[in-house]
Amino acid sequence: MNFDLDVDQRDAAAGARAFFTGSASPAAARAALEGGAVEPGHKALADIGFLGITVAEAAGGAGGSLLDLAVVAEQGGAVLAGPSLVTAARAAVLLAGVPELAALLADGSTAFAVLDGPVDGSHASIDAAGATLFLGLDGGALVVGAGEARAGQPMDATRGLASVRLTDRRVLREDAGELWARARQAAAVVLAAEDLGAADRAVQLGVAYAKERQAFGRAIGSYQSVKHMLVDAWVGVDQLRSLLWWAAWAADAAPDEFPLAASAAKAYAAEVFERAAETLIQVHGGIGFTWEHDAHLYWRRAKVDRLLLGDEAEHLDTVARLAVAGALRA
Amino acid sequence: MDFDDNPEEAEYRAHVRALLEQHTGELLHGGAGESLDPATHEAEFRRTQRVLAEAGLIGIPWPREHGGQGGTLVQQAIAGQEFSRARIPTLINHIGLGMCGPTVIAHGSDDQKERYLARLLRADDVWCQLFSEPASGSDLAALRTTAVRDGDDWVVNGQKVWTTLAQVADYGILLTRTDPDRPKHAGLTMFVVDMHAPGVTVRPLRQMAGGSGFNEVFFDDVRIPDAERLGEPGEGWRVALTTLMNERVAIGGGGSDIGVPVETLAAHARDRLPALGPDRQVLARQAVGRAVVASLATRYTGYRRFTVLSQGGLPGPEASAGKLAGTAAGRLVADAGVRLLGDDAVYGAAADGDDTWQGMQAYMPGLAIAGGTDQVLRNILGERVLGLPPEPRADKSGPFSGGTR
Ligand SMILES: Cc1cc2nc3c(=O)[nH]c(=O)nc-3n(C[C@H](O)[C@H](O)[C@H](O)COP(=O)(O)OP(=O)(O)OC[C@H]3O[C@@H](n4cnc5c(N)ncnc54)[C@H](O)[C@@H]3O)c2cc1C
Repeated sequence: MNFDLDVDQRDAAAGARAFFTGSASPAAARAALEGGAVEPGHKALADIGFLGITVAEAAGGAGGSLLDLAVVAEQGGAVLAGPSLVTAARAAVLLAGVPELAALLADGSTAFAVLDGPVDGSHASIDAAGATLFLGLDGGALVVGAGEARAGQPMDATRGLASVRLTDRRVLREDAGELWARARQAAAVVLAAEDLGAADRAVQLGVAYAKERQAFGRAIGSYQSVKHMLVDAWVGVDQLRSLLWWAAWAADAAPDEFPLAASAAKAYAAEVFERAAETLIQVHGGIGFTWEHDAHLYWRRAKVDRLLLGDEAEHLDTVARLAVAGALRA
Repeated sequence: MDFDDNPEEAEYRAHVRALLEQHTGELLHGGAGESLDPATHEAEFRRTQRVLAEAGLIGIPWPREHGGQGGTLVQQAIAGQEFSRARIPTLINHIGLGMCGPTVIAHGSDDQKERYLARLLRADDVWCQLFSEPASGSDLAALRTTAVRDGDDWVVNGQKVWTTLAQVADYGILLTRTDPDRPKHAGLTMFVVDMHAPGVTVRPLRQMAGGSGFNEVFFDDVRIPDAERLGEPGEGWRVALTTLMNERVAIGGGGSDIGVPVETLAAHARDRLPALGPDRQVLARQAVGRAVVASLATRYTGYRRFTVLSQGGLPGPEASAGKLAGTAAGRLVADAGVRLLGDDAVYGAAADGDDTWQGMQAYMPGLAIAGGTDQVLRNILGERVLGLPPEPRADKSGPFSGGTR
């Protein structure tokens, strides 16, 4: 057994950290709430090659694994980057048999979004607000087309959520139900990876403040109620990393385990990130409740992500059904 | 990244399986919840460990000179997995193997290693860990059992409590206070004590689940030869830390489930779900799903720690997270299992006498206390992993006898 990232994946994570740290930030996420651009933005993500990590080499991608993409997505999550690599992962699965469109995904010349729900009035879908071409499931068929996007008032503007009505559509593949399900599982894993990065950062910020801030003559981190709250958040993050790696690895290496692992990672990410973000605010006291502080930007992400691509209840149900049906690794 | 056996591991696993098959008639069998009690089946438990030891399956990573196999931690983990697959109950000498043996290896004299280790592996001698006292559990260094030097011996007086397996043990590692005039951590000394020595009295204590897994142990003028000291006088705290570090790894360190494995819960749910109404099924699946997720999160985190060990790394303080999270997951699994029983959930056992789930439910609170309480583990993680400052303490500097305990 060797349950660890390899050297290339560690290098990729370090490179991604440098890129995202220089190109996105919670400050940008705050500005986006007031009409600013989402950073680093679609073009920059395409230019550095992140949109094509799991696209086949023949279509201009890197032909990498979902785990390769997940370790990069984690770093984007840490600084609340947008658009999400969720769309890159999901569209790459859907377009595996359509190399000419996959090439447009990888080189960034087209901004795709994948629609959840009916294509003539979708649910709020990730990065649909800035997209020009949409993928959807229409009566069991995978379709592509242009559409009109309608966005509500954002809770987290980096997610680019919008509801879309397709204005034209072309069938890419009949009987695409299974493919669609696998793409959604890949998307759930990448969302969980972004949540892992964000939750991890939230815990780090909380710990740093708890070492610094003094009350009653000592650092607040020395008080057990503060310390234990941060420990519980940290333990969750550490455990989420394990589920996430397993799920991302299973996508390519153990397809039988993938559906259960993906739902486990998504359900757990919802809980862990929400706890980390709530803890971050609480540890900061009043300053944590201000617009200027970054805490609420993590909190917004958590409150939105937990409901996207299936909420915790849906994924727990999936885990239970699969486990009962015998899907656990012996 | 991969979870499969490499060729050597696969070969070793086949070897272990073949041995277990070959000796199956001589081994005890019984899964979690079948509550086989080492005290009532002592002979069978000792025999089981001896047979396994003679087959070379006990103390695998211990050096050959100490009766071990000079093998790897990976091989030990594989053997452990195959033991549970064969439903071999927890070994009678699990405290000896996990805690006492490693302490003797690290701090014992050559003579002690010679006399004790091979017999410990074969369960010719069963060992216990005599640390906790009525007034010192979490605050272990506040202990009061004294050892006073008298010629070539030390004379021990005091009381230990919650001592697992003391009622069947032949030896124990015993932490005592030898210098009350020094600060609490500095005046301690560790010994090996013969549990059959005159003046040692063991009284089983009944636990909340009904069984007698632990005991109180009284020491009245018990004489221990100086040759049975582990480490120097006054160095007992450092010796105890070796034991506690090994304890953290032994409990929930390497990807084995705490409590009932999730596969067992899944099978139970498969049997029971159809009997529930549709609304109850929805709720039950939520509980099962949550338990499975928590359990797998702990299991796969254990695999990460295990990977570090197998690459030659040392267990760090983050190992405490395995026990903390594993206990929480174990509670969820036990709770989901009990709730699935329907009417039987309010009885101590089902009509057919099966008390797997009720038994596990009643066992979980002890796990949150034994080997470091949940709160103490959170302190360790907060201070040693996250680097948060400790609480101010007034008990560390003055002499223990001075009252700042
Ligand atoms: C099943 C079982 C088996 C055991 N086997 C053994 C054995 O073989 N050998 C042995 O030596 N001992 C054994 N023990 C004892 C065990 O190690 C102690 O019970 C444990 O360390 C707690 O000590 P205590 O019982 O004195 O509780 P206390 O230390 O009095 O704790 C009481 C409560 O106070 C909390 N608390 C204490 N200090 C702090 C702190 N600093 N911060 C926050 N909260 C705190 C605890 O978390 C707990 O909730 C066993 C216990 C159990 C339950």
